[in-house]
Amino acid sequence: MCGCEAVRPGGGATPYDEGREALVTGRRALLAGGAGIFFSAAAAGAANAAPESARTARRAYVIVLDGCIPGELDQGLTPHIKALRDGGLRYARASSMPVMETIPNHTMMMSGVRPDRTGVPANQVYDHSLGQVRTLERPADLRADTVIDRMRRQGFRTGTVLSKEYLYGIFGTRAGRRWEPAPIIPVSGHAPDQFTMRAATDMVTDYDPHLMFVNLGDIDRFGHSDFTGTSVQALRRTALADTDRLIGDFVALLKDRGTWRDTMLVVLADHSMDWSRPDRVVSLAGPLEEDPYLRGRVQIADNGGADLLYWTGPSSGREKAIARMRTMAEGVPGVHSVHDRRADWMRLGPEAGELVVFCDAGWRFSDPDPVTSNPIPGNHGHQATRSIPFFLGGGHPAVPRGRVTSAKAQTVDVAPTVAAFFGLSGRPRGGYDGRSRLL
Amino acid sequence: MSTPSDSPVPSGVRRRAVLAGGALGAGALGTSGALAPARSAAAATAATSGRYFRHGVASGDPRPDRVLLWTRVTPTAAALPGSGRGPRVTVRWEVATDRGFTRVVRRGSVATGPGRDHTVKVDVTGLAAERTYWYRFAHGGETSRVGRTRTAPAERSTPSHLRFGVVSCANWQAGYFSAYRGLADRLDLHAVVHLGDYLYEYGPGQYGMGMDDVDVRRHVPAHEMVSLADYRARHGQYKTDPDLQDAHAAHPWIVTWDDHEVTNDQWRGGAENHQPDEGDYRLRRSRAHQAYDEWMPVRLDDTATVGDGDRIYRRLRFGQLAEFSMLDLRTYRDEQVSTPSGDVSDPDRTIAGTDQLRWLKDSLMRSRVQWKVVGNPVMIAPVTFAQVPRDLIAPVNDVTGLLPEDGVPYNTDQWDGYTADRREVFNFIRNHRVEDVVFITGDIHSGWAADLPYDAGTYPLGGTAGVEFVCTSVTSNNLKDILGAPPHTASRAVETAILGANRHIKHLNFDDHGFSVLDLTPRRAQMDWFTIGARDDRDTPITYETSWATFAGTSTVVQAAGPVR
Repeated sequence: MCGCEAVRPGGGATPYDEGREALVTGRRALLAGGAGIFFSAAAAGAANAAPESARTARRAYVIVLDGCIPGELDQGLTPHIKALRDGGLRYARASSMPVMETIPNHTMMMSGVRPDRTGVPANQVYDHSLGQVRTLERPADLRADTVIDRMRRQGFRTGTVLSKEYLYGIFGTRAGRRWEPAPIIPVSGHAPDQFTMRAATDMVTDYDPHLMFVNLGDIDRFGHSDFTGTSVQALRRTALADTDRLIGDFVALLKDRGTWRDTMLVVLADHSMDWSRPDRVVSLAGPLEEDPYLRGRVQIADNGGADLLYWTGPSSGREKAIARMRTMAEGVPGVHSVHDRRADWMRLGPEAGELVVFCDAGWRFSDPDPVTSNPIPGNHGHQATRSIPFFLGGGHPAVPRGRVTSAKAQTVDVAPTVAAFFGLSGRPRGGYDGRSRLL
Repeated sequence: MSTPSDSPVPSGVRRRAVLAGGALGAGALGTSGALAPARSAAAATAATSGRYFRHGVASGDPRPDRVLLWTRVTPTAAALPGSGRGPRVTVRWEVATDRGFTRVVRRGSVATGPGRDHTVKVDVTGLAAERTYWYRFAHGGETSRVGRTRTAPAERSTPSHLRFGVVSCANWQAGYFSAYRGLADRLDLHAVVHLGDYLYEYGPGQYGMGMDDVDVRRHVPAHEMVSLADYRARHGQYKTDPDLQDAHAAHPWIVTWDDHEVTNDQWRGGAENHQPDEGDYRLRRSRAHQAYDEWMPVRLDDTATVGDGDRIYRRLRFGQLAEFSMLDLRTYRDEQVSTPSGDVSDPDRTIAGTDQLRWLKDSLMRSRVQWKVVGNPVMIAPVTFAQVPRDLIAPVNDVTGLLPEDGVPYNTDQWDGYTADRREVFNFIRNHRVEDVVFITGDIHSGWAADLPYDAGTYPLGGTAGVEFVCTSVTSNNLKDILGAPPHTASRAVETAILGANRHIKHLNFDDHGFSVLDLTPRRAQMDWFTIGARDDRDTPITYETSWATFAGTSTVVQAAGPVR
């Protein structure tokens, strides 16, 4: 399991199933956009819009180029994104946060706090209560307050346009308007960027949210399946060019509407991408089974470039087990490093188990089965996928023009940046872990 | 960071005159407790004419709150470098925020004597970050020339740009140090980085200018330096060069050594140019390092104390924009492979040594700064010379070092001779996707700009670990000198062959001498190459040659439109 594909024990309801159920039962209202685009809203909100206490003309659009590598914006494939980047404030030293997966980094973006506070350390975790590995895609999985929630409480209009099923799931009904993604590509569980950006356009036109959170999944999804990833990256490059054109159209829309000078765009990736050959696969399940002390008492949540190891034996044996797991993992070819999930730079909560194991660049995990669990070439989650593009664009005067800075920026900085842009009152209890990247 | 605050110099006014003017101003404003009046402008310009301060002044290793100051005092006529003669004396120093010394912020005194060859090193602390200072020394009623230095930006600051001179390989006997004049004349540098071969060990007639080894100037002492006195005397001689003195006085320097600071092609247990009758090699090296410690504005073992250690690899940080990791690729390396074999890839062989390699990987952590600049004495880019015409192999070898005429078509004195270490560094970069790594390199007497591919065989596919910019030599012979051919004639065949066989190498100039300027901004790193004319012409003109850059996040080089302004 690469970590990008949802895991649902027992074939439980998907987030889309639950979304449809909410519409059928009337808990949410379906609002038709143009050309078959549908949004949903809380039933009361749909019938009677929430009081508008926020009078600002400011608009912030957070656009995630899922899986994009910073250098890919300088290959001539993305002229619109590059122009946006070069015309705004670029953070040349930006990072995804551990584990370098989609769900934890999107939740960090919107909460401004680290996984030991969000409860979302990875895409896949071992759920002790279920006794199974599952995807963190339920609204209740995200324990932290988000900037979406706070803006909505303070009267701002908010919207989510999330192309991936598990993002649609975990952010649930937090936004005032939620896109009901369609069409969905089977297996990848995501909507193509063409439809996602059409939805974003309709949401701006029809609902005009102050904050809109958009995930564009094509660059990531085509990267995952690109068997030429270690060489010419044919699929990937096609996706980059196509997504770039859509971003260009979106910017043109904002300028046509005359709202560009009120706009701040936060454009970033959640992680980057790395490709491996079929023979460069790490599987820890076998070595774990060979250890008589660990056999049958360790669970693995495979997140593509990172394995999370969970001790399921008696708590009295945890420290001994951790030591043995570490020794075992460090000796496996393709393993880069093994980390305590509580380390300062990781800050993962108990949902991450005991140890986080990263693979080398050019490798991937495939657990529990070394052949079938993760056959795809493109992966992330490991340290080689930490570098991301991160820049602020748009026409609002708060956005610096044509600046590049060597200051660090991280996914966890998005929420405080948005909060600063709107001058939101209050902060998360315990404060943000990130910081505003407006200068 | 703002652009350096110095006002522009009117056209035709030499840098050394500006510095001397500062000293002149101090004379009129001397106060009780201050140093004695400075020399006149003319005296300051003729730097070697002073009685006590004949070897100039220097500063180095700038940090946000401190900078190291250096001079050498000659208290008596007999107290010549390497002589071991002369009394212990006290030298006073002061640092001011203005060239007229009306605002002195630090002053003190320090004792020196023959035990350290009458050199003076002062680590001046308590300075403000990212600021230009002026300094001078005094002894016996005489004041040294005035030096200008600059502290580094604060660690958490985000400078908008940094600019450094980059230079290597200055052989006294091969000509005049006009390249240093070029660096001294620039007002826009935050520091000068010297990548090694600051001086050469040879005696007269052994290594000079061109294919006939003509000595434009003769080394002192008149034999290969071996003893401590030899090394001291040679350092003393180099420090009398007016262009070198000007360059030291104009900017703080960040230095490392290559092989010739001890002797040619040195490794941890010996050297090509060390013979059994020259005594114990390690003892010779310790003498060379002692003299280097005494005579160079550098903190060995991170201190200004002379003789407390000889670890030169260290980091110099400039805010969040850049950090220089200066390497020592001689002291810990295994012996070079000189015969065709697979030993260049032996994982048990090292060029950096275990501790330094671990330290280098720490230097490359992506969380440290944006531009990870590695001060790299020998080339790290893989280079095959396989396509070079056979009759040109010998002269290429003369320039590049160990290039066997038969067999291995690469330079085994460079990282190409220690591929396991290179693979470890590159794998670290790849595993952490470290971006914006720039190796700046000397040693090879030629100018290069190259990508650093993870796999040269599949390049440009497969990714790159960073880029490398190689500065040419100040005076040391390059290919045309050895061929005895006019510039850009015979060497063109070699350059074409190398560029054709190494697609990751984008620029190569085997013919010119000069210096480079490295400019860093958050957007890109750019190297400009400047070349000199005839090495035996003290006033030879300096001309701009070319520029190459790497943009943030790309790890590839592209040609730049022109030099930084």
